[in-house]
Amino acid sequence: MNSTNYDSCPECDLLLRSAHPKIGEKAHCPRCGFLLSRPRKQSVERTFALSIAGFILFFPANLLPMVGITILGNANTGILMSGVIALFNEGMVAVAIVVFLASILFPLVHISLSLLISGHLYFNRPNRYLVGWMRWMHHLDEWVMLEVYMLGIIVACVKLMAIAPLKFGWGLYAFIALIIITTMLTSGLDTELFWQRIEQLGKENNLAH
Amino acid sequence: MHTKANALAQGFIRCHDCGCLLKTVDHPSACPRCDSQLHPRRPHSLQRTTAFLFSSFFLYIPANIFPIMTVNQFGAGDPHTIAGGIIELIDSGMIPIGLLVLVASILVPSSKLIGITLLLLCAHFRWQINARRWTVMYRVIAFVGRWSMLDIFMISILVDLVNSGSVQIIAGPAATAFAAVVILTMFAAENFDPRLLWDNQKNL
Repeated sequence: MNSTNYDSCPECDLLLRSAHPKIGEKAHCPRCGFLLSRPRKQSVERTFALSIAGFILFFPANLLPMVGITILGNANTGILMSGVIALFNEGMVAVAIVVFLASILFPLVHISLSLLISGHLYFNRPNRYLVGWMRWMHHLDEWVMLEVYMLGIIVACVKLMAIAPLKFGWGLYAFIALIIITTMLTSGLDTELFWQRIEQLGKENNLAH
Repeated sequence: MHTKANALAQGFIRCHDCGCLLKTVDHPSACPRCDSQLHPRRPHSLQRTTAFLFSSFFLYIPANIFPIMTVNQFGAGDPHTIAGGIIELIDSGMIPIGLLVLVASILVPSSKLIGITLLLLCAHFRWQINARRWTVMYRVIAFVGRWSMLDIFMISILVDLVNSGSVQIIAGPAATAFAAVVILTMFAAENFDPRLLWDNQKNL
């Protein structure tokens, strides 16, 4: 219900006339420089396509071995979950839970939500949970830490290379692809457009009944 | 106290979740578009930020003095603190990676703690500052916070992979404290409302 023709900057609260930048243009707040909006080409379609790809890639990235190491004849491979379990077994329960949430559960929920939302918008199917999903996705955004995990892998590998030879598995390549896709997902998502489409769908649904 | 150009001073409230702008004269309590609670500013912003900030200050001490991991080699334990791990990386010639860890696990958390403290003091004592510059500082703090989790993820990988009979890596008590510092400072940054900085400026 953006009945007003005004908008306000979320970080400095400057009252602004609603900017409608064209695709490829950006609107910045003139007072604090905050990026107000950056419309993307075919945001719904692209989000839908990328979420499908991400959802599929999530499974090889989590189930196939990522890094293998051989120390004094003992071979060992690691996946995302085995790190969580190793921490858990050592009694570092809190850390294990944090790693599990930030690297497995939240990414999965985030991708599933974006798949559900963009799927409903793509096929113009109203759903009363759309608003809730959208809010959840907004709050989860910051806690999906796949790219930070990738840096963790790099540093760990550099440390381990000094001890023993490493082998990289298909899980790692799937994981890198998953990071590229989630990054494209978050940067290509046009939040304002999504909210407008959800509102529109809700209204159409109310008129039909 | 509010400056004229601010939306709140002109009777508008912005929804935190979907960004929808509403007139305050209608006294809306929930956003009509996304149904979330409406607040002119983040509720109890300064109190909550202070609470999270104090907890992370206290946890920052054990995070730095206790070992974050112990390398057990043939029965002999070799505990590492956060700083010790970085010195070891740099000593063994891996300077770029050493610097990366230095930035992610020492410079970022400590400058975050100092930065949020300054932001809180500024908003509380209504300092007259260059609000644009301070807002940029807030934005940087909010953006870099999550990258400190790097150390925690690295430990989870090391603990998992280096686990043969003779060589073993065990996570130390500092890991829990450090993870808590990162998460609490993220909460602190999330609860701070940068618009409070602008509300206090007299000469805008």
